[in-house]
Amino acid sequence: MWETLAQAVINGLLIGGIYALVSIGVTLIFGVVKIVNFAQGEFVMIGMYISFFLANQFGIDPIVSLVVSMPVLFVVGVLIQHFLIRRVLGPNDMPQIFLTFALSLLLLNLALMLFTANYRTVHTWYSDEAIHIGELYIPVAKLIAFGVAMALSAALWVFLRTTDLGKAMRAASQNRDVATLMGINPNRVFCVALGIALALAGAAGSLLMPFYSAYPFVGQVFVLMAFVAVVLGTLGNVIGALVASLMMGVAESLGIQFVGADSGLIVVFAMLLLTLAFKPTGLGGGRAR
Amino acid sequence: MKKDRKNSVINNVGRDQPSPNRQSRRKFLIKTGGVLAASAFGAVPLRGWAADPINIGALYPTTGSMAQIGVGCVAAAKLAVEMVNEAGGIKSLGGAKLNLIISDVQSDTTVTRTETDRLITGNKLSAIHGCYASALTMIASEVAERAKVPLITGSSSDQLNKGRTYTFTPFARASQFARAQLQMAKLGNDQAKIAVIFENTAFGTSTSNGLKELAPSEGVEIVMFEPYSAGFTDASPLINKVKSSGANALFSLSYLNDLILIVRTVKQVGLKIAINGGSGGFVMPDFYKNVGKPAEGLQGVAHWNHDVSDDAQKVNVEFKKRTGEFAFEYAGGLVAQTFMLADALERAASADPQKVREALSTLDVSSGYAAMAPGGKVKFGPDGKNVYGRPVGVQWQNGDLASVFPKEDARAPLLKL
Repeated sequence: MWETLAQAVINGLLIGGIYALVSIGVTLIFGVVKIVNFAQGEFVMIGMYISFFLANQFGIDPIVSLVVSMPVLFVVGVLIQHFLIRRVLGPNDMPQIFLTFALSLLLLNLALMLFTANYRTVHTWYSDEAIHIGELYIPVAKLIAFGVAMALSAALWVFLRTTDLGKAMRAASQNRDVATLMGINPNRVFCVALGIALALAGAAGSLLMPFYSAYPFVGQVFVLMAFVAVVLGTLGNVIGALVASLMMGVAESLGIQFVGADSGLIVVFAMLLLTLAFKPTGLGGGRAR
Repeated sequence: MKKDRKNSVINNVGRDQPSPNRQSRRKFLIKTGGVLAASAFGAVPLRGWAADPINIGALYPTTGSMAQIGVGCVAAAKLAVEMVNEAGGIKSLGGAKLNLIISDVQSDTTVTRTETDRLITGNKLSAIHGCYASALTMIASEVAERAKVPLITGSSSDQLNKGRTYTFTPFARASQFARAQLQMAKLGNDQAKIAVIFENTAFGTSTSNGLKELAPSEGVEIVMFEPYSAGFTDASPLINKVKSSGANALFSLSYLNDLILIVRTVKQVGLKIAINGGSGGFVMPDFYKNVGKPAEGLQGVAHWNHDVSDDAQKVNVEFKKRTGEFAFEYAGGLVAQTFMLADALERAASADPQKVREALSTLDVSSGYAAMAPGGKVKFGPDGKNVYGRPVGVQWQNGDLASVFPKEDARAPLLKL
């Protein structure tokens, strides 16, 4: 019995690491730029296709292709902020919502057109391998993904705590107007925030590739979980999003194991509703970061 | 013959009409005028025209989410028409050639309705085949029934045999697949204990219920029966559950990406279990490409397979030459269907769709390409169902899909765990 439980927790934590990369991106953008990026899932999809084509054409390992997918998506993020989002920032939320939603639809349909709806997978030597410890097993591909995801999250945390740019981003997220008065260039900070958020989505895509199929709608699967994690962990709170993602992974896994295989999401959403009922500001206690 | 080539739509999707500029409109008027005059004065055989070509409509999704299989179907349809024409066409009609008119139904039910309608009203069709995907075929069949044009299809939905007179289904029905799967499980292990996992929408639910109902009469025990939501991110918890159920066979009624995830996870867990992946995406060449080695030994069911007969193997060689892949179930089935149509046209000695329907309803073949189906015989009952139709059990062996069940159709033994 305890093995089943332990295995369910392991499974949940491992997939939670991937949710974390996506949700940290969403929460970072919300925290700093104050917009909800509905297209975040589509950038995961783009990251997956980048890794797929690099693996397929040049035989590059998907994990290694992080070094391509992250910079590419960082640049895409900067460009999107500079040329699109900057123009709709203002007192009215609607144009921002429509912009990122339109971006999501556009990217999704472009992918359908360019790549068709077929499933693409990459096969690596570790794709089907697992480390067995007694009755328990840990899939190698997911363990690598989890490890890299945690390392990237830690790096982001250090960046936000110690560098001037990181501090500027935190300042902008706490109070944009005061930050501007203190001489922080908001557009520069926003560009970096978008860049980092998209790079994290790209990383999630590359890390998923050894064990998950790429297809145009793949982002939607992960973005749903990311939004829940972001709300659960307090909007704008990076650590909160990370912790909430891991919790959700475990809750989903336990739900599938002990309630029913179609009830994983029910458990996750029940958790969300309970949190909102008793702690409406989320687990982060309402503090951004 | 220039005119012939221009009218032939074999290499054009039907939508590609020439733009109506003045030049082509004049040409068009001259031509249609000629044709109208010819038909008005009765059959005036023009020089160089052996006989009027016979139009066969082909409705397949060549764009959209179902495009991949749809494109393969079109390749097979073209191959089949060439085979009939090279063998001398329809002899009772003076060696008339089959002319394939292809239409893209865009993986969409609404488009399927309008395209089927457009194809029938815009052309003098003798018969139609399509659309591979049951959801689309249901719509096309409704339109064809109303227009009284026979439609022959490889789609397996049992609904296609209800209250229809112009729809013909030469291959095994969905309801027959479940029984074959259970019998295969028993063949693999006398004490088969099956875990059934299925995605919780119409497809998975209806198929799994079929399995549940049949299991007792086939002497197979179902130890786990679990719906899941399609498009999950992680199959591990589900496989964890299968592991604790003590099952020795796993039936996965899943869409392709879920199935890939499930198979990989089973390998990671190191679970020794016979997996039956059913039909659909599982029996396509792409499945093996996506899953690789772990696909070895996986079982499934199909309505056609490229090794069921010598004729099928010949078709397979030719199809492989053209597309690089083995002839998948719909592709091979389509070649057989085209020869069934040719047989009917031959006996009807007419291109009239009503007469073709009559001839199809009395079709009875047991040799040649038209009989190229598991069971080797085709004869339609009053519901349009092939009375000899049966599914073939298949298994991935050395990267190829081998027929392993039933004994009569098996070309390789079923590899046990």
